[in-house]
Amino acid sequence: MPATRMSQTGNYKTTYRQDQGIFANRKELIWIVLLLVALLLAPLITPRTMLRDFDLIMIFGIAALGLNITTGYTGLINMGQGAFMGVGAYAGVVAANAFNLNLFFALLFGGLSAALIGGIVGLPSLRLKHLYLAVATLAFQEIFTWGVGHSRLLAQGGAIPAPAVSIFGFRDSFLTHNLFWYYLILPILAFLVLVWRNVLRGKHGRSLIAIRDNDRAAAAMGINPATAKLTSFMLGSFYAGVAGVLLAYFSKSVVIEDYGLDVGIKVLAMTIVGGLGSIPGSVFGPAFIIGLDRVMEQVANWLGGLNLFPSGVDVATALRPLSFGLAIMLFLMFQPHGLASWWDKLRQYVTRWPYKS
Amino acid sequence: MSQLNIENVTLTFGGVNALSGVSLHVPEHEIVSIIGPNGAGKTSLLNCISGFYHPTKGSIRFGEHELGRAAPNVVTGFGIARAFQNLELFRGLTVVENLLLARHTHIKYSLLSGAIFYGKASRIEAENRAYVERIIDFMELQAYRRAPVGTLSYGVQKRVEVARALTLQPQLLLLDEPMAGMNVEEKEDMVRFILDIREEQGVTVVLIEHDLGVVMDISDRVYVLDFGVRIAGGTPAEVSADPRVIEAYTGVGSGHDASDPASSDQASSDQASAGQVTA
Ligand SMILES: Nc1ncnc2c1ncn2[C@@H]1O[C@H](COP(=O)(O)OP(=O)(O)O)[C@@H](O)[C@H]1O
Ligand SMILES: [Mg+2]
Repeated sequence: MPATRMSQTGNYKTTYRQDQGIFANRKELIWIVLLLVALLLAPLITPRTMLRDFDLIMIFGIAALGLNITTGYTGLINMGQGAFMGVGAYAGVVAANAFNLNLFFALLFGGLSAALIGGIVGLPSLRLKHLYLAVATLAFQEIFTWGVGHSRLLAQGGAIPAPAVSIFGFRDSFLTHNLFWYYLILPILAFLVLVWRNVLRGKHGRSLIAIRDNDRAAAAMGINPATAKLTSFMLGSFYAGVAGVLLAYFSKSVVIEDYGLDVGIKVLAMTIVGGLGSIPGSVFGPAFIIGLDRVMEQVANWLGGLNLFPSGVDVATALRPLSFGLAIMLFLMFQPHGLASWWDKLRQYVTRWPYKS
Repeated sequence: MSQLNIENVTLTFGGVNALSGVSLHVPEHEIVSIIGPNGAGKTSLLNCISGFYHPTKGSIRFGEHELGRAAPNVVTGFGIARAFQNLELFRGLTVVENLLLARHTHIKYSLLSGAIFYGKASRIEAENRAYVERIIDFMELQAYRRAPVGTLSYGVQKRVEVARALTLQPQLLLLDEPMAGMNVEEKEDMVRFILDIREEQGVTVVLIEHDLGVVMDISDRVYVLDFGVRIAGGTPAEVSADPRVIEAYTGVGSGHDASDPASSDQASSDQASAGQVTA
């Protein structure tokens, strides 16, 4: 998991300010602009049903990026990302309903609430490592699920409707729902990616990577391990909280099922499949896992049509967790650095073409 | 009063004393060496100073600060830097990134400024990057700026380790065998760096080193540890003439038996009081 890219040719930098720039060189800037334009135009040629998946990929991309901050960049395992999304979703939606907040403030409030809880749940990380920390975050997830299920205020986990959203005169309507949210979520994802890229360029991001790579040396550099770890948990759960609010608004209500342990594990799987410690990986992972779901549905339909199984057996229900588990196992065994490492190889190939690496 | 005062430090691991009643004094701007056979407790003593171990008994004072129970990051904040015996670098990061990490306490802006980056954070980062570049020039690491540290040769990694400690801009620099495993040429370079660090930056240096030639050449003061006990201390000339030191190094007794606890206790307390007088 290299924290930085190797310097490429085509860098003609003369000041340290240029050296800390967000893009390696002009070529990279052009590629990013092209990518953004492509993403903005994508809905024009995308079937409506697929657009829904795009929306979900971006929402889970935000949650996966958050988990990447805590687990990928800082090396602190967190099995409770589902609950952090839930904290954000409940806080954001309940506050929005109570105080008539608009979406922006609901996102901010949801994110900050999740960050606050993240800071508290992160406390065991000052003492516990590895498996023990995993169990501590697992415990938080269970407490959260149980707590919501027993709370009258939160409808005991049943659906709490999220307010309808309208922005700049555009309204979320039945026919344009997926499109409307596509253009809302995309800039939020882009903004949060930019924020993390910025943090990564400065002392705070560096200190998290230092804690991951060598905590003794990090302390010898004057980095307070407690501050770094709690910052990491708070940032990671802020992202989860924002993703949770978006998921609630996108599905028009909060229900506890959307924020359970399975969701946290799914986000963890997305992060690993995408590549720990990689920003593009944080979106590749959700794309892969959500894409896999769709493919398996098709396969199940096709198998169902063959009449191989007795009626009443839902092949899709069996195939989805099976393929999900298999994919994670294969990735851990053969591609532990995730899809992002293929991405890096592709980039290097393109940069060096026609030379072989 | 010296800059660093170690009084009667005892460090116990499961009933075994790694250090027993060690006292030593490091005046400002001096190069003070600690020598002794492997397992004598030299690294343990540095660990006590830099906060990785906490002494079982005794006190360690650095200027105003009592270091006995301070955490490593707090000790670093007081102005003490350390280069580790067994390289503790961020192997996946480049030389520049390793050194930038050493600017952590000097770089002051909030997480929010960091998230915005442009403006304050960008300016402060650039200033500190310039400082890092000065250290890179000073330690002659220009050729390796962008190389991930893990890919560099052992000798260069040792130099990066020292450079990183220096980037902390300390008042006191602790160097744990910075020349171990180096060839003669690399050793000469390192000796030159250590002398320059003291001359140009006015930094106090505590040096652990096995090469007695180097130690006697560059030190203002030398302390000798053996089995966790300070058996001698003084100027290089005094120490090299001390029969207890010759005995510890050659194993040839020139009077009494070294393993006799009464005589070695006697020796260390004698030396402790002598050390205080000279300091
Ligand atoms: N963490 C530890 N636990 C147990 N024993 C230790 C520990 N650290 C050092 N020691 C013991 O303390 C003694 C001194 O070791 P050390 O300080 O590394 O010696 P030196 O640096 O002089 O070679 C050794 O006997 C070593 O085994
Ligand atoms: Mg040692």
